Amino acid sequence: MRRYHLVVIGAGPAGLSAAIEAAKHGMKVGVFDENARPGGQLFKQIHKFFGSKEHKAKIRGFNIGNELLKEAEQLGVDVHLNSVVMGIYDPLHITVAEDDHITSYAGDNILVATGASENMIPFEGWTLPGVIGAGAAQTLMNLHGVKPGDNILMVGSGNVGLVVSFQLLQAGCHVKAIIDAAPRVGGYGVHAAKVARTGVPFYLSHTIVKAEGNEKVERVTIGQVDSHWQVIPGTEKEFDVDTICLAVGLSPMSQLTRIAGCKMVDRGGLVPETDEYGQTSVDGIFAAGDVAGIEEASSAMIGGRIAALAAAKRSGFVTEDEFETEYQNQHASLMKLRKGMFSHENKGRTDLVKTDEGYPLSMSLLKNGYIAEDEIGEYPGVGRTKKVGVHPVIECTQNIPCNPCQDACKFGCIEVGETITSLPVVKEGSKCVNCGMCVASCSGQAIFLVDEEAEEGFATITLPYEFLPLPEKGDKGTALDRSGKAICDAEVTQVRTSGAFDHTALLTMKVPAEMANRARFFQKREGVR
Amino acid sequence: MAGICDRSKDIGPFVPQADDDLIICRCEEITKGEIRKAVHMGLWTMTEVKRMIRPGMGLCQGQTCSKNVKRIIAQELGVSPAELEESTARPPVRPLEMEVLGNEVEEL
Amino acid sequence: MSAKTRTADVIIVGAGIVGNSAAYYLRKKGLSCIVLEEKMIGDGGSCRNGGGVRQSGRDPREFGLAAYAVKHIWPYLKDELGIDVEYRQTGYLVCGYNEDHYQSIASRVDTAASFGVEMKMLRGDAIKDICPYVSEHVTCAGWTPSDGVSNPMRATLAYYIRARELGAQFITGEKAVRINKIRGRARQVVTESGNVYEGDKILVAAGYYGRPLLKTVGLYVPLQKKLNEMIVTEPAPHMFDHMIGGMSGFYGQQTVHGSFVFGSPSGREYTFFEQDSTETTAVTTSFIAGSIGIDIPAVKSLKVVRTWGGWVDINLDGVPVLGTVEEVPGLLVVIGSSAHGFGPGPAVGLCMAHLAADEPSPVDISKLHYDRFDYLNKQPRYQSASNGGALIR
Repeated sequence: MRRYHLVVIGAGPAGLSAAIEAAKHGMKVGVFDENARPGGQLFKQIHKFFGSKEHKAKIRGFNIGNELLKEAEQLGVDVHLNSVVMGIYDPLHITVAEDDHITSYAGDNILVATGASENMIPFEGWTLPGVIGAGAAQTLMNLHGVKPGDNILMVGSGNVGLVVSFQLLQAGCHVKAIIDAAPRVGGYGVHAAKVARTGVPFYLSHTIVKAEGNEKVERVTIGQVDSHWQVIPGTEKEFDVDTICLAVGLSPMSQLTRIAGCKMVDRGGLVPETDEYGQTSVDGIFAAGDVAGIEEASSAMIGGRIAALAAAKRSGFVTEDEFETEYQNQHASLMKLRKGMFSHENKGRTDLVKTDEGYPLSMSLLKNGYIAEDEIGEYPGVGRTKKVGVHPVIECTQNIPCNPCQDACKFGCIEVGETITSLPVVKEGSKCVNCGMCVASCSGQAIFLVDEEAEEGFATITLPYEFLPLPEKGDKGTALDRSGKAICDAEVTQVRTSGAFDHTALLTMKVPAEMANRARFFQKREGVR
Repeated sequence: MAGICDRSKDIGPFVPQADDDLIICRCEEITKGEIRKAVHMGLWTMTEVKRMIRPGMGLCQGQTCSKNVKRIIAQELGVSPAELEESTARPPVRPLEMEVLGNEVEEL
Repeated sequence: MSAKTRTADVIIVGAGIVGNSAAYYLRKKGLSCIVLEEKMIGDGGSCRNGGGVRQSGRDPREFGLAAYAVKHIWPYLKDELGIDVEYRQTGYLVCGYNEDHYQSIASRVDTAASFGVEMKMLRGDAIKDICPYVSEHVTCAGWTPSDGVSNPMRATLAYYIRARELGAQFITGEKAVRINKIRGRARQVVTESGNVYEGDKILVAAGYYGRPLLKTVGLYVPLQKKLNEMIVTEPAPHMFDHMIGGMSGFYGQQTVHGSFVFGSPSGREYTFFEQDSTETTAVTTSFIAGSIGIDIPAVKSLKVVRTWGGWVDINLDGVPVLGTVEEVPGLLVVIGSSAHGFGPGPAVGLCMAHLAADEPSPVDISKLHYDRFDYLNKQPRYQSASNGGALIR
């Protein structure tokens, strides 16, 4: 039987990172993945990632996948694709289905990094064609170039629901609404805001009453829920949609660890019990990534590295001391991500009213998906004082782990500080050269360059723009405010693209001066130049 | 349910609900009402319910529905879902043609 | 939990097909009973088998039990319990591949005839007339029209459901660890939690797990523990209704649901005895899939959706120990069903209910009594040449 020092099941962010780490320490690694392409969910992620440089922040997910894959190949990792691991058998054997046969492999260590699958919620009509997972919609769009539908209802306002909603808009779909049974938007405020300003309404404390249609979804009814999650009669609303995307959480695909006899715990889905290094209750079987507990890809990558280090220690590829040093580095990196209002301990909390720094949280952002005009001045990236000339306005108001904006500005205008979940501060008196690097580097698309007095009676606003076709200089259209409401006419004065912007175009529009702090999105008027 | 369980314990009568005809297990087309009725027949574990009326026995082996099935059974028994033991995970993790499963090749 | 004593007329250990059906028949007789189950209802072999309800191929000592079940219980069970146990009296086809098999099948035909059960020897096209899907390698077959199939999970649980409804008390998660004799009679079952259950009769019907329990009253049953495994396919359009098996050891059926279940011995069954759980093995499941693909080529492209295994309590002489034990009054035993206990299960439960009620067993089970193993406590005698070196029983 072919034997590896480390068998990795799942070539996603956790699995590939683990394979790289293990191979770096001299381990012979075999990675198995059931898909035709490696990368797991990474290759569907066309948005820029959060975190800091060490977490590959501001790099788009699929590019991170490509980087990992290249590195793994350079290190001599065997990547078996279209290879379905059917089971883990005593003693640390796996059986893999490949093409028309099965083959057994042995591992001195096995890392299970199989990820998660999407949750479904049953409601009247949920089995109609057209009810799909948000991740499935993402697969259709981003891997296969297929539009999932034309008119869409998104269920779930967590990061998956928000990110996929934006991608649906990018694909040319009409997102009719984002609903969530919870009273607060679950995902990052910046993700919500970039969707809301295109005009997508948010309905919090709302659930699906029913989906209807003749053999496929044609219509959906939603309703407001009371504190017991029951629909309040009379609050029902109808939307004509052909697709309902469910982004209502993930379930770890932990069958292999269950088959292997690992002790499991129910954390809203069965996960193997692990120690801080990912070691399960079965000696030599490790788990990392979503299968060990749902988190995002950046944490999964670190989790994979830590598990690989532990396996390397177990098999004598690193000494106790080497392990301790490297583990501490990885752990510190992980802890940077696990801070702020979206951290584990704060997840699902509805009582938070202030940021770590003491700024009031935008209640409008949590309820409507956008920051209200009377709230925006509170934040250190915006401020209430009128500034002269072009300057960045950073509408980043929650403690999320992210700091590329700080590195983006070569002139030191922007400061996040050591704690990467801190709100970015635009420093008083700093000089902005209108380079736009901060706008393009912000994974949350929350930075704008505003010149309140660009010319007599007019202001210019530079915003991140990721829709095709790109507007051109001279295009006339409408400026939308943060809620997506049309507020005034706007004219495109500049569209900048650059390799350094990585496909985020910088669109500059001219609006009446009094709209400088309200206009946040440009909508082209059809047929008008 | 974990621990000692007297199956004669009263869990109350079966009360029909408006959404009893909602399909919970798509693979086997098992409704919420069928699951609830099974509990009232005395089937108090996920495995017993599965063995009698098949939720989670289809192509996806419960990856889609088991959370919902668990919640329904727990609700009917008046316990938290975490108290219920999941039914056994069994290979193969993905459906696999018999002729492939039976064709073992040694890779050297 | 503080220890307490509960009483009933009969204490049953094991909620399998025998324990559940015995509880059901006891309640019908008006006797009270408590069923103790270490795991859950039907966790053991009762729910983990091919569902064959066959008389053919059985040892003459237990043939009568199977025949009684087929004649008096299975055909009426759906109406009796009001739950469809998916019993179909659709026959059993056992395939042979060579002359040795032909001889074995012929002897089965003789045994069946001696019990008045029709079993036919088939050759050539007659085999394909019954089942057109068997491979060309099948040269002979035995066909028993009165055999059939059921759904073991539904049958086992249906007895539980109705017994519970009739007032039998089932307690799961309660592991019996000791039987106490009081004044020479087995009267109490003590559980791991320290609870005591007391009754006039104690029925041990716990498969392999009965062995340590019986040791506490000085009984030793010569069992081996074997892991049998099966594969289950996705549902397929209807192909055949009868049970099918082969002299190679495979067996299976197409269920009412449409899926196929198949088992087959890989020869490694005895080597997994130290495994804690019944998880399946890569070797055996792959073997089953491969061998079924050869024996019934038409199903080989179906997808296997799951595999499962179960412990089999194989008795030294291949048939179970049943009934009262002279040495231990008050005790009833069902153990060592040796991988063919499901079909006769309801009849065994019925017999045990009769015995517990001090009524004669409706079927003669005297040849299956524990006492036949008396010789085990003596030194085995070895006879070298005359019988090929076998132990003398």
